[in-house]
Amino acid sequence: MFKSNKTAWLFVSPALAFLLIFKIWPIGVSFFESFMQTSFSGKRSFVGMENYSYLFLHDPTFWNSVKVTFVFSLLVNPITLFVSLTMALLLNEKHFFTKFFRTVFFLPTAISFSVVAVIFAVVLDPYNGLANSFLKLAGMNSQPFFGSANQSLWCVILLCVWRSAGYWMMYFLAGLQGIPQTIYEAAEMDGANGLHKLFRLTLPLLTRTTSFVLVSNTAFNFLMFAPVYIITQGGPRGSTNLLMYESYTSAFVIADMGRASTITSILLIVIMTFSFLELRLTKAKFEY
Amino acid sequence: MKKSKGVKNGTLFVVLSAISAFFIIPLAWILSSSLRPAGSLYQYANPLTWRTFFPSAITLENYRKIFVDLLFGRALANSLIVSFATVILSVLVSSMAGFALAKFKFRGKNIVFAIVLITFMVPFESIVIPLYVLVRSMRLDNSFAALIVPGVGNGLAIFLFKQFFEEVPNELLEAARMDAASWLRIYAQILLPVCMPAIATVVVMTFMFQWNSLFWPLVATHSSAFEVVQVAIATNRVTEDTSWANLFSSAIAGSAPPVILFFFLQKYFIKGISGTGITG
Amino acid sequence: MKRCALVFLFAMMAAGIVTAQTLEVLWMGWPKDQVMQLVNDFQAQNPGIKIDIQLIPFGQLFQTIEVRLAAGGGTPDVYIVDGPNTASYAARNYLLPLDEYFTAAEKNAFFKSSIRAGTYEGKFVSVPYGTSSAGLFFNKEIFEKYGVPLPSEKLEDRLTWEQVAELAKKLTIDTDKDGKPDIWGLGIEQIDRPYLLLPLMQSLGAEAISPSGFETKGYITSDKFVKATTFYGKLFNEWKVSPTGLNDSAIAREYFGTGKFAMMLGNEWNIARLAKFTNLKYGLAPFPYFAGGVPVTPTGSWHVGVNPKSANKKAAVQFVKFITGKEEVIKWYKLNGIAPARPDVYAALPGDFSNPMWQLFISEMNSTAVTRPDTPGYSQYELILREAFASISYGADPKKTLEDASARIDRELKKYK
Repeated sequence: MFKSNKTAWLFVSPALAFLLIFKIWPIGVSFFESFMQTSFSGKRSFVGMENYSYLFLHDPTFWNSVKVTFVFSLLVNPITLFVSLTMALLLNEKHFFTKFFRTVFFLPTAISFSVVAVIFAVVLDPYNGLANSFLKLAGMNSQPFFGSANQSLWCVILLCVWRSAGYWMMYFLAGLQGIPQTIYEAAEMDGANGLHKLFRLTLPLLTRTTSFVLVSNTAFNFLMFAPVYIITQGGPRGSTNLLMYESYTSAFVIADMGRASTITSILLIVIMTFSFLELRLTKAKFEY
Repeated sequence: MKKSKGVKNGTLFVVLSAISAFFIIPLAWILSSSLRPAGSLYQYANPLTWRTFFPSAITLENYRKIFVDLLFGRALANSLIVSFATVILSVLVSSMAGFALAKFKFRGKNIVFAIVLITFMVPFESIVIPLYVLVRSMRLDNSFAALIVPGVGNGLAIFLFKQFFEEVPNELLEAARMDAASWLRIYAQILLPVCMPAIATVVVMTFMFQWNSLFWPLVATHSSAFEVVQVAIATNRVTEDTSWANLFSSAIAGSAPPVILFFFLQKYFIKGISGTGITG
Repeated sequence: MKRCALVFLFAMMAAGIVTAQTLEVLWMGWPKDQVMQLVNDFQAQNPGIKIDIQLIPFGQLFQTIEVRLAAGGGTPDVYIVDGPNTASYAARNYLLPLDEYFTAAEKNAFFKSSIRAGTYEGKFVSVPYGTSSAGLFFNKEIFEKYGVPLPSEKLEDRLTWEQVAELAKKLTIDTDKDGKPDIWGLGIEQIDRPYLLLPLMQSLGAEAISPSGFETKGYITSDKFVKATTFYGKLFNEWKVSPTGLNDSAIAREYFGTGKFAMMLGNEWNIARLAKFTNLKYGLAPFPYFAGGVPVTPTGSWHVGVNPKSANKKAAVQFVKFITGKEEVIKWYKLNGIAPARPDVYAALPGDFSNPMWQLFISEMNSTAVTRPDTPGYSQYELILREAFASISYGADPKKTLEDASARIDRELKKYK
């Protein structure tokens, strides 16, 4: 670490200026909105913590959303991490087919979540979708997918993994480039086998990348709502009612900015807590 | 030795092909549907036939319609302008900030880092109204600037650069300092070249972020001259109907530029090009 | 000489001939090439006014309107309004009262129910652009193939819901014997939307909301409302004649158009939209009602409003009158197929509207149509009630679900009184 206030601040200022003006300021305004309520005639009044207490004490939909969001998060994050890391590891070596497969895995990312949602709604149609046609071909029963309270959240998870695995794979690929070949060569000379190399060398050396992917993916997934907005509208029977979807409908369908801001403020605290834990957990330990 | 390597590569190829089937199948269906004359949506999805993925009569009518009648080309051009401009500015300021956070101890560092993290933990939807009011008060609305400038500050990019720069050994930088190099030179001539994977990643990250933005362009601009690609794609769904053929063709056409970009940036993700201490 | 020229120039500018205005219009994301025809017409007839029109995809339309209007300022000048949102916008002073700009004759050019939908607290605030109606479309080939007599397409032979359920049971067929229906007896185009479902409850005599517009307890929780909703739930869960999980009206239409629904409860726009299914032979029966009840049909669609903060009010009103005027509505109907909100358009196109299906819809609009509940809290009401209907279609208990929904709606509405 180098010590220099002046240089550091010089380097940090441009980005910081952009962040303060175009992100922090609106975030602050939005945060204060959570202490306000707007009447039908547009009159805004200060209500203190009332929005928060209402959510926590009187709003069963809120608690259902909390449950759904946590279940979603605890499933989608590890699955995405595992899939994208595996793909990166498989594609780290240079072969004639490497570029091709990496691009193929990246393809879904090139399509926005909204369009992916429309595609999945059609592909996973309970009666005539492509997915069910494949299942029937394999002799299995057709599934309700988004039409079932049991399957719907899993389908949302599937959609998110499908769309983002290639994206996070890119970060892992970049991180893997920073591991010097010499380390592997030295380990091989000591008789290390594949799994040993993976768990004792590669993964620890990937810690910084892993922590980045973990923190950003967690944040993204807590803020996820597009598939719910487009396909399920929180259903069936609240099984996909993610918190961010609640916030979105509060803001833009019901024009209840106070409730929307309250939910996103709570989400921010949750995400910050998770990130703090994740950063602690993956503190880079390996120097080489 | 050679034979087992061949077998190993072969297995890898098979495994990768199996995984890619999962990603490709829905896209292949969309692609083939876009090349068919606009017909019924489920016609070839149920039941499954070879025609599902290989249309018997290929037509480019759906592409012609979006480019000629619906001015999709303009949307692509606008998105390219906005995305590339944001990439250039964002990579510059974010790498500088990441450098400071990775390699310097300075007063207020923790607050700055906290700010950086917070900015991507808040959804865009919750800041859109105050941001719009702000941009309007700066008289930036309805311009390319409205689309570019708010996207330059990117906490995720800064965080990524910080993580990558931390991997660069301090010895490298100290050596340069002993040669009386200014920090700016060290940043430009030593740090950046060594972190090409990070830069390539942030290029893709920023490009994708702008390429996929839908709501902000709708709010911040209103002239059709500024229509971006996601708006053009989304307009195929109206209350009364969805133009499936146009939706599919515009989704495919709209995904081409990011894929092409990613494909060509691949060389920065290949071992042996960069990274510290890497031998050929 | 020079001074004369200058004075003349100033006089011209004062007369408004030299200045050109730009009107910002926020519009629904209908196809560019169709909308621009109307815009170009206006600009050709009004050379001093340029139209800067923004077409917003339906999925983001209301959100963008909310952001723009909440931010204040005079943008947009003119914007498209979903009929039932009129009250909510007007209550927040987002709509310019138009009584002083419209003569009584001009207002009478629209359907009375449409004018009512565009009025808030006695002030005329949003101009009707389209309206709607709905009916029971049926697939003639399916009926004939399975030996079921075709429903009558005449108004006086309106089917009861009980009869429709019986037909649906006969026509839910598993053609490939895999245990799952391949043809469903009844599809509902907008499967859980109050727009299409409230007429069922209203047909039994239930009311959608209190006269004040702020209370649903006792209204959506009444026995009649619950009874009609229970019937709706049985379609999916007991008789299994309707498929769950089809949330998109475009998808529902695909099902009907490709012979997977024997009947579909759907909107008037299907007359235009089903044309692409060239093999489809279909008929239209009147919107069903409950035996012993009254026939009720849904209605209402898009309106157009002016921003009270607009700096170009006169030009804005000019545009609004133009686009909702007879000529342009005729043109728009021919391009897009949505039901016009002006009787004179129907009279002007006898070729199109003498079609018996249109005649049916027009009669309904004139006799049985009931507009959606008039309340500034319509979007809260609609969102929560829609979730309730969706849950009921998935098997939730109607009475309990409606009671929970009512409690939620009333809480939301009370917060803002």
